[in-house]
Order: sequence, then C-alpha cells, then structure tokens
Amino acid sequence: MNKQIENAPTVTCEKNATGFYTCAADERVDVGILLELGSIGSGHAATSLSEILQQQVLIDIPRINVLPTHQIAEFYGRHDAPTTAVYIRLTDSQCDMLLVFEAAEAKRIAAMMTMAPSIGELDPAMEKSAIQELANIVIGSFLTAISDFTGVPMLPTTPELAEDTFDTIIDSFVIKQAMASNEALVFDTHFRRDGEEASSILMIFPSPQLQELLVQKSKELIETPTGTE
Amino acid sequence: MLTILFPLHAAKPVKIAHGTGVYEPRKPIIHLNMTSQVVTFPRPAVEIQANVTLEEVRVNMAEMKVESKPVELVASVGSCVALCIHDSKNKCGGMAHVMLPKSSIAMQEPLPAKFADTAVPALAKAVRAVSGSGASLYAKIAGGANMFPNMNTLNIGAKNIEAIKAALAANKITLMGEDVGGSHGRRITFNITTGVATVRRFNGATTKL
Repeated sequence: MNKQIENAPTVTCEKNATGFYTCAADERVDVGILLELGSIGSGHAATSLSEILQQQVLIDIPRINVLPTHQIAEFYGRHDAPTTAVYIRLTDSQCDMLLVFEAAEAKRIAAMMTMAPSIGELDPAMEKSAIQELANIVIGSFLTAISDFTGVPMLPTTPELAEDTFDTIIDSFVIKQAMASNEALVFDTHFRRDGEEASSILMIFPSPQLQELLVQKSKELIETPTGTE
Repeated sequence: MLTILFPLHAAKPVKIAHGTGVYEPRKPIIHLNMTSQVVTFPRPAVEIQANVTLEEVRVNMAEMKVESKPVELVASVGSCVALCIHDSKNKCGGMAHVMLPKSSIAMQEPLPAKFADTAVPALAKAVRAVSGSGASLYAKIAGGANMFPNMNTLNIGAKNIEAIKAALAANKITLMGEDVGGSHGRRITFNITTGVATVRRFNGATTKL
C-alpha cells in the first residue's frame, strides 16, 4: 500500500502527523491547478451559502488529498457521528459531490431556512427539502464558477439526501473510487457558520478524465497570451 | 429471628471461561412462614451480566482482525460488508471489512480483506491459525446496502453480498446469519466470546445475529 504510493511517479508523499499519506499540492502542477479551481468554486459556494443564511460563513483553505481509497473514511475520523449528507453528481458521472453536515447542524440550518420557531417544531420533510435545496444552490454555484472559468460544461443531477453515520455514507463513494484505482484524489473544504462549532464539509471526487480535462483547459487559458485569440 | 451471616450483594469479579464477568449472588428468596424460616437461592448462581462492557476494537476499511481475547470487533458499513467468522469451539473469531466483490476489478495489492473472494479464505485461515486444530467455523455477514438508491448507480453492495456467499460456499463455511441490503447503514458489534453479532441501524433498531 505505502510502497505503491512512494513509487508513484509524479506525486511525492509524506506521512503526516496523523499517520496518513497526503501530498503537498505544490509538488504536482496538476494538483496545484485543480486546487486553484477548487478555491474559485468554494469561494462562490461559500458566498451563496452566506446569502441564503444571511450569516457570515467561514471557509477553511481548500485541500486536495491523494489517499489510498480504503483510508478515506479513516482520514476524516468522524466514524459514527450522526451525519446528514446530500449527494449530487454530474450527469455524465465524471464527478461525485457530497455536502456533509453534522445532523444537529443540518437541523439548525433547516430551521433557519424554513423559519421554524424551534428545532423541535421542524417538519422532517421540510428539513430534508431545505437541506437538499441548500446543497443544490451551494454545489450549483461551485460548478458554475468552475464551468465559467474553464468552459467545461457541468450539469448536476437532482440532489439526494441520506441521514446516517459518517462512515456508512462515505462508504459508497469510497467504493466507487476504489474500483478505478488504489488511490483517490479528494478535494475538500470546510465551511463553518460564524460562531458555530460544527463544520460542514464539501467533498468532491473528480474522475481522472475530468481532472485531466480541467487541467488541460486551465493550462490553455494560462498559456494564451492576452490580446490574442 | 432471621439472620443471614454472609454479605448478600458483594459483587466480586471472577474469571469466567474466556472473559471477565461480574459474579453477583442473586437475591435470596426468603419464605417466611409462621412455623419455619427457609432461605433458598435460585439457580444458576453464576451469570455473566449483560451490561459488562468489553473493549471495542474498530475494524477499518479493507482491514481484517482476529482476536481470541474477550473483545468486541466493531465496523460501520454501508455498501461494504462486515464478514464475521467465529469458532464456537475455541471461542475466538475475526472480522473483515470487505469493500469490493472481486480482486480482479482493481489492481492487485497486499490487502486480502479488501475483496470478497480473497477475504473469506484469508480470514478463515487466520481464525484457524489462532484457534488451532478442530475449529468449527461459521460465518455471519451484514452490510451491502445501497445508500443512495434513487441515484441509480452501480449497486456494488448487492454484488458484494453475492460474492461473499459464493466464497463462503466454496470454502465450506456455514452462513449462520445475515442482515443485508436495504438503503441504510449498519454498525456491527461482534462479540468474540459469544459469537453474537449485534447490528444497529441509525434509527436505533437492533438485530442480533
């Protein structure tokens, strides 16, 4: 497992303090470009989240982790934490996107959105609908930003919500990645409402083809001299 | 006058077979008649309390753990499958957290517990190595759900279950219990001493296998 990563041609990996193999973004140009695209997207996503909630939203610096697929769940270490997650993918199945909330945080956000007087009076069906809509808007603005920048068309599917423990939700995505290769590239960024402890995660699993396409399109943009077609 | 000369509820830990339980003498039933005083103790005198908490050992994805100590092996699975193999004779067993049905799907790597077709023989071999000769193995499985059924993605959970059942049949290991399918996650707690696998869903429903 570890040996394979050490031998990978373009990525240099180091074991970090938590015992996982992660790769510094600067060491691979491709990852650097993807990270930049992700930053643009998550900036827009956070802005739209902030506009919906009428609240300040803080985002962490986006990261790209290249991890052995079976270590992805362990990497987040949330194990049996109650989680509400919304899954959206591209219609061409090139990218899986997941917006992950702590269950209690999802309830608070839904109560704010539906103007429920308290969390206890929140209708479960309304909660589900509100969180799905929120994910739709957040991920939609993420994709629009990247699509506008690179010119790659990106059409998201309708959202689907799951309420379960963190590990069991992440499970199916990990399996999908594991079918293709032994290591997966995971983009993630943490959102936090101002004054709240709970952090929500936006996780993106782009397919190798999409990664290549995005990098290629971005490079074309960078290398085209200004003023010429 | 009724006098009882020994402490009634002094709980003291005793070694019971493969585990540490708490020996607690049951409350005596005291029959008081006008003529005689009879103190009888109900049987059995020794019982392992249900609330004795064992150490929990987490089995992460593509991992395999075999124990002979009294512990509980724990795994949370969605589309993955938790494969438990228990040796009822020697009170030991192991768990594998299986991710994919066939080892040919992805590149080969030294992680036998990752694939159904390699996990079954590898776990059986490991349990036999710990328990010694004369092991009588049986298996219990849980998991294989499809967490997002409306997304119409590959239902790898169902394929996992199929592959594990085929591998168990090929290795002549009896499948004693299963809780599979559906669209909800499961947390499996596998008690090595008793061989009972407790499956808990997120909504709180529990099933004992």
